[in-house]
Amino acid sequence: MHRGVWYALAVGGLAVAGIAHASGTIEALARTCNNCHGVNGVSAGDGMPSIGGLPEGYLKTVMMEWKEGKRYSATMGRLIKGYTEEEIAGLAAYFSKLPWTPVAQKTDSKLVERGKQATQSCVSCHGPTGKAAMPTAPNLNGQNAKYLEMEMRKYLDDSIPMPAMMRMMAKQVKPEDLEAVAHFYASQK
Amino acid sequence: MNPIDRRSFIKALAAAPAASVLAVPAHAQGKPKARVVVIGGGFGGATAAKYVKMLDPAIEVTMIEPNKIYTSCPLSNEVISGHRDLASLQVGYDKIAARGVNVLHDLVESVDPMKKTVRTKGGKTLSYDALIMSPGIDFKYDSVEGYDEKVAEILPHAYKAGPQTTLLKKQLEAMPDGGVFIISVPPRPIRCPPGPYERAAQVAWYCKTHGKPKAKVLILDANDSHSKQALFRQAWRELYGYGKGEMIEWVPAAEDGKVVRVDPKTRTAYTNFGEHKADVLNLIPLHHAGHIALKTGLANERGWCEVVPMTMESAVHKDIYPVGDACIAGELPVYDMPKSAHMANTQAKVAAGAIVAKINGLPPPTPWYVNTCYSLAGENYGFSVVHIYRVENNKFVYITAAGGVSPADAPAQGDKAAVKVPRVQYALEAQYLMGWWRNIMADAFA
Ligand SMILES: Cc1cc2nc3c(=O)[nH]c(=O)nc-3n(C[C@H](O)[C@H](O)[C@H](O)COP(=O)(O)OP(=O)(O)OC[C@H]3O[C@@H](n4cnc5c(N)ncnc54)[C@H](O)[C@@H]3O)c2cc1C
Ligand code: HEC
Ligand code: HEC
Repeated sequence: MHRGVWYALAVGGLAVAGIAHASGTIEALARTCNNCHGVNGVSAGDGMPSIGGLPEGYLKTVMMEWKEGKRYSATMGRLIKGYTEEEIAGLAAYFSKLPWTPVAQKTDSKLVERGKQATQSCVSCHGPTGKAAMPTAPNLNGQNAKYLEMEMRKYLDDSIPMPAMMRMMAKQVKPEDLEAVAHFYASQK
Repeated sequence: MNPIDRRSFIKALAAAPAASVLAVPAHAQGKPKARVVVIGGGFGGATAAKYVKMLDPAIEVTMIEPNKIYTSCPLSNEVISGHRDLASLQVGYDKIAARGVNVLHDLVESVDPMKKTVRTKGGKTLSYDALIMSPGIDFKYDSVEGYDEKVAEILPHAYKAGPQTTLLKKQLEAMPDGGVFIISVPPRPIRCPPGPYERAAQVAWYCKTHGKPKAKVLILDANDSHSKQALFRQAWRELYGYGKGEMIEWVPAAEDGKVVRVDPKTRTAYTNFGEHKADVLNLIPLHHAGHIALKTGLANERGWCEVVPMTMESAVHKDIYPVGDACIAGELPVYDMPKSAHMANTQAKVAAGAIVAKINGLPPPTPWYVNTCYSLAGENYGFSVVHIYRVENNKFVYITAAGGVSPADAPAQGDKAAVKVPRVQYALEAQYLMGWWRNIMADAFA
């Protein structure tokens, strides 16, 4: 799909050049995320998360927590510290407006079934399929399986700073079910 | 507009490329709005071609690349260590072509920056409004006495992925236990600054798991420091043994590490004062920008193309945009932009944005430069370096508040407590490396 927002705006109406330039700036910045998160924020896989279409509130919170050093990351913190709070807000707004696109992945049907059973206590916030049921929670449906599993392990690792609430929730999952939980959400549309 | 009309109107708008909706009638008559030619279909060239076309489909984009199949250098050290095959790193240009980029398999022989034309070996002359120059690197073979393109068949560099990579892998397989594998690193700047040191780890990994526990990996370096030094030392020590008498040893220039001459018959590397006999001699020669960039007069006296920070336009010739390994940018010597696939990819996006803006009579958009290089030192052992640049007063500025390397262990020092990094850090980055590669391949070639 064509997304030349700044271009379309700029050529379509030079009268709004100010706006065009501002939105163009964020779109150009967002393009630098594609080589890890995929074009339009839809990841091609292997442990990198999709980010296009996540709720704006979640996007902004997670990026600001990295910027302020409050939350662990393996890589993202060193990237996001390079941007201002306004740029981060712009990125959150930009990516939240893209459609959330569940990515079809190879999943194991037995694991999917086991994962479904293991996520009964998650429905209140993540909905039955992982489609976010609250603005501060990310979508899990069709998110990359490997990423989801690694993220659960981050919550479970007390040696690194991660948000307390999901840490509590993650501890309700039996360690042997972590992969199943990831496969379940990854398989949802 | 009633809701249904409105919906189909939006659908039509979304389906038609925005530029053809907005373009003035003259362009609809078959004549392209402008012509962009791209030299090279690597990470820089392919990304640039794709993004110019995506940002403005009314521009005609022609990408010229001699090879039908591109082989990724990133992850090619894993081919040497037997963790993947070369075919898994290869990609064609069909998807870029399907986006409307004309892909011409030919070699550019000359560029005329005044007439704004390029000539190919196949005898074609193409004119351009903007030219993207992404030919990567070529080697200065005679920087080491006794070395040339022929000798590279005996002492491979494996610094352009392909047959050279396979050759080095075969030599490693044939090396006896207790054999010596030498990696000779040329003076910077080099493509993939952590590449030789990642290779050392990968070779050691292979030896450790393939019945060559007494093998030795000797790095003879023409530099006195290297990328991710603390991290590589830590990983080498932890996984394979590092230092005198251990599996991996590193000799900096100050300790006579610079190789000045080789003898291919005996596979001996000579430094200023010493000689080292190898079973496998991986000689990486000095680099410069690809020949065509030199021939076009774009390079400085050290062989690299300088650029205007806002746009990536050449500092020498107007309307030519050198991107990727061929260019040199940033604050030397510490904060120059690394020659990486990631850097080439973001530079290409800056050039594409600037070119499309210029063709449409607009000022250049804010340029964003980002680099991330992941390295894989062993099983579940990955780490990275991040660089972020902004342009201020027409200069590249490295942002010190961001970027830097993954954390490494450190002993207590003064009032600073000792650091012991949770090993989950390295396991995670070993996986993210794969995710990065998957996505950058799609971003550049799909
Ligand atoms: C062992 C190794 C490991 C690496 N690992 C990483 C990594 O993990 N991460 C990372 O970010 N980077 C890595 N790199 C670096 C990365 O490969 C380069 O930085 C990247 O390929 C640069 O892209 P480029 O477009 O400038 O050049 P290239 O990718 O080399 O592409 C140049 C293209 O131009 C073509 N060409 C040359 N001359 C002409 C001409 N006259 N006419 C037409 N076409 C021409 C060539 O055929 C080639 O396809 C690694 C490199 C090596 C060697
Ligand atoms: C070099 C690769 C890389 C680049 C470039 C990159 N990211 Fe990330 N991103 C990651 C990794 C790895 C993670 C997982 C968190 C971590 O670092 O441990 C991540 C996670 C995220 C998440 C959290 C997703 C979730 O579901 O919780 C967001 C949001 C995000 N990145 C936004 C961005 C934005 C915006 C950009 C561009 C400005 C960007 N990233 C560029 C590697 C990258
Ligand atoms: C009370 C609400 C709530 C419940 C119940 C809950 N979650 Fe969450 N979940 C959240 C919120 C909020 C976040 C974002 C937290 C953060 O910033 O890391 C989150 C994040 C996650 C993530 C990280 C996704 C990403 O993109 O990084 C995973 C995986 C996850 N939850 C799985 C689960 C599972 C499995 C359960 C059930 C065992 C569960 N959650 C129960 C609210 C909840």
